[in-house]
Amino acid sequence: MGDPHGWLARRNPTVKLALLFGCSVVTLFLLDPVTLAALYALGAAAVLATTDLGVRRLLAAQVPFVAFGAGLVLVNAFSRPGTLLAPGLPLRVTVEGVTVGVALALRTLVIGVLSTGFVVSTTPQRLLTSLVQQARLSARAAYAVLAGYRLLHLLPQHWQTIRDAHAVRAPLDRRGRPALGPRVFVRSAFTLLVVSIRAGERIALALESRGLGTGPRTTWRPVALDRQDAWCVLAVVAAVALVLAVGVLA
Amino acid sequence: MSTARETPGTRETGTAPARRAPLPLRDLVLMVVLGTVFGFLYWALVQGWTALSVAMGPAGDLAQHFLLGGWLLVAPLAVAIIRRPFVGILAEVIASVVEVVFLGSPVGPLLFVAAAIQGLGSELPFALGRYRRFGWARFAVSGLLGAGLVFFWSAFRFGWYGQDLFWFRLAVQLASGVVLGGLLAKVLVDALVRTGVLDNFAIVRDRRAGQAPPVRRAR
Repeated sequence: MGDPHGWLARRNPTVKLALLFGCSVVTLFLLDPVTLAALYALGAAAVLATTDLGVRRLLAAQVPFVAFGAGLVLVNAFSRPGTLLAPGLPLRVTVEGVTVGVALALRTLVIGVLSTGFVVSTTPQRLLTSLVQQARLSARAAYAVLAGYRLLHLLPQHWQTIRDAHAVRAPLDRRGRPALGPRVFVRSAFTLLVVSIRAGERIALALESRGLGTGPRTTWRPVALDRQDAWCVLAVVAAVALVLAVGVLA
Repeated sequence: MSTARETPGTRETGTAPARRAPLPLRDLVLMVVLGTVFGFLYWALVQGWTALSVAMGPAGDLAQHFLLGGWLLVAPLAVAIIRRPFVGILAEVIASVVEVVFLGSPVGPLLFVAAAIQGLGSELPFALGRYRRFGWARFAVSGLLGAGLVFFWSAFRFGWYGQDLFWFRLAVQLASGVVLGGLLAKVLVDALVRTGVLDNFAIVRDRRAGQAPPVRRAR
């Protein structure tokens, strides 16, 4: 993973995190699919314009959110009382259910596209440094959080290693492939937990042996908080306010 | 700049006599690691929840109550291992941050609030036992309170009050909390202790303090 480029990558990570939080809170009060769709389109355009993420990679990053959103639409379409969408169908599908479902799915997508923008434009180191500098996080806590952030990136790799190890010893099914049932899945999850705890302990030892938390620290590559960040906040707030105002008027 | 940086250093040398020493780095990192792994697993559980909701058809809205206990796990686990105040609440909140910020859970940042309430409920019974008692019953009550407290928050958010299903929802959620969020946590903790991975943490240290000779594990 190379260093991210683009305007958003040079912005202050604490500011970006706060904006992500703020926008997510705003979406929770919205249930109008059109307003949410407008926010999603704006968010996607902004992420494309300010990061080095191409259209293809952005689409790929959206797949999990689309899958989850589809689930939300289905659940709500079938489980909410209201006016029937089409009386001829064998299952009850209501207009209210579909509307709420689509709105919830769009909420997912809005938060998803903004989270993607945040993650691809922020390195763990800059986020950590910025949280210590601007959010007054203690250095010990910051390093622990950094360890967690790193671990999250490594989890899929650990998971694959564990599954491979289990596959080697698993009994073969009729076609000669290893049979990995749900019990093996549970055992793999437990192994993942154990491996992570071990990794965490090693990280803690390494940090302690470097004298973390024993005295005042200097900051390597301090993160700036400048006028451009103020413009960033202003732009996001203005865009969201505009969409909301148009949504309320329409 | 340099003057501002001196405050954390002086604080960490332990000038406050009344308070306990700050959490050792080992415990701090373990708390974050547990939060991260469970944030990942919770996220997987959300996928399972979606599948179950679809499979249950019109009753899909009730699926969350059956699974809710699963989202409580990390708090009793962290408290039982580290045995210090607020560890359960923090671990649960870290898990929710991982879910929302890094994995983009659609529940959104209000999940931080729900997670803090869950953590509070789960940690309360252990706090009342002054972080010294970790029996089966205490884990069960932990799951019960974790599921119970957050139920009222969810009911407020999604308008469950006044529905016919209110008591059914509550009963299922409490049962799920006791089984998945309480007793399962105890099973997990005991299994983790047996692997030897927790040998350097309070949970095993406290046990050793009660026994005369150090236990030698055959691996």
